[in-house]
Amino acid sequence: MSIRLLKYAFIEDWAEPRFFNTPDELRESYDVVIIGAGGHGLATAYYLARDHGITNVAVLDQSYIGGGNTGRNTTIIRSNYLTVEGVKFYDKSVELFKSLSEELDLNIFYSERGHFTLAHSDATLRTARWRAEVNKHYGVDSEVVGPDDILKVCPQIQIDCGGNHEILGALYHAPGAVARHDAVAWGYARRASEAGVEIHQHTKVTGINMEGGKAVSVTTPRGTIQAGAVISAVAGFTPTVLSMVGLTSPIEIFPLQACVTEPIKPWLDTIIVSGSLHLYVSQSSRGEMVMGASLDPMELHSRRSTFEFVSNLSDQLLDMFPFLAQVNVNRQWAGMADMTPDFAPIMGTTPVGNFYVDAGWGTWGFKATPISGKTMAATVANGRDHELITGFNLSRFGDYKLVGEKGAAAIGH
Amino acid sequence: MKYIDFPCLGRRPSTEFVVAGVLDPEPAELEGVTPGEWVFNRDSVPMRRTEWWCHTPTQLWFLVERDTASDEVFGVSLAGGTDNG
Repeated sequence: MSIRLLKYAFIEDWAEPRFFNTPDELRESYDVVIIGAGGHGLATAYYLARDHGITNVAVLDQSYIGGGNTGRNTTIIRSNYLTVEGVKFYDKSVELFKSLSEELDLNIFYSERGHFTLAHSDATLRTARWRAEVNKHYGVDSEVVGPDDILKVCPQIQIDCGGNHEILGALYHAPGAVARHDAVAWGYARRASEAGVEIHQHTKVTGINMEGGKAVSVTTPRGTIQAGAVISAVAGFTPTVLSMVGLTSPIEIFPLQACVTEPIKPWLDTIIVSGSLHLYVSQSSRGEMVMGASLDPMELHSRRSTFEFVSNLSDQLLDMFPFLAQVNVNRQWAGMADMTPDFAPIMGTTPVGNFYVDAGWGTWGFKATPISGKTMAATVANGRDHELITGFNLSRFGDYKLVGEKGAAAIGH
Repeated sequence: MKYIDFPCLGRRPSTEFVVAGVLDPEPAELEGVTPGEWVFNRDSVPMRRTEWWCHTPTQLWFLVERDTASDEVFGVSLAGGTDNG
């Protein structure tokens, strides 16, 4: 046992400081009210304070911080997207992630692993080549590799995948990484709190009040608070919050499930993704296999997890890694994903004045946490969309200017 | 596994079906509707609603009334009446 831990147990006045403030009372008014204390909401609060000096900010959450999709993803960070908008945006996010431990003074266990997107068919291989060329053009390290290259890094993989889905090659993305998702949320919460931002957990927003086409205040069970600007950062609950200001969007909610096994000896130091097998897998620093699959097949506003998910995932996993047959699954869970028709987010200004949205993060939100916070903060501070997110505005659907990220954003296609 | 009673089919597991989204008929009057509004936007708050379900093995289409918060199914009917059978 460490001396530090002994001290903590026996000396009463020696205690770790709280990570963030938990004020008893809500103020009557804030310059900015952020709904949702996940990674995106907390990062937005932090960058509002750091980059723009806006510190009269409240972050409200119906539950606890990082308890939504921030704590439910499989922590993969990468920037090998397909569209120009996507590649530029996520590459900036990877850059911010690399220095985030220092910036937040908290080890987020950012670990570069390399990321293989396996191709089991000529069509997938063709998309991989397309993505690699787009990536290289924008300076992102990405290339198509053959089965031999995959075997060099991961000798345990069965290249014939049980005989049904032989691996023909992969898109290899060296900067692909994993990080501790809770640490990202807590690190941003601490830094934002130090700057004066208030974090109110268990404070559900039940209504947004409008005057003259602008959002002016939010209603909670703890009272109504005036707001200079309102930001919705509520993955999975976006349609509900949008309905409070009379907006609709193309977002539909589907559950996304994941699971971890019991810890086993380190053997997999890379990230393996297969779109055809609906599977992604990496090994955590504790030795657990962290695995996810594609979306559930129908809309559902629920975080229930199912036996079919584990059963189908194991079926595919064992084709690729048969030696895992005796490993037990320890935990499984689900998150509610905001799905958009073009697999790109919906960010920035809306037709409602002083109301901003950071949504549509589907299955790809964690990797965008720092850059979303930074660009949303700039958008709110300046009252217009940051240049990196103009393509993601809600108005793109009415204008028929969809982003078309389906080939690179998700595995369920 | 979730099992549901269907006309013509009997009791079938929900995994045999593809859900093709909410029943959302084209508005009778398109005048004044913003382009893209009806095509893309939907009201996806948790609610009880009617959906298109296709039974993959038989290619039969059904209309299923389901609650998107509880996943409870309230009613099933063959789309287009018995003509499709």
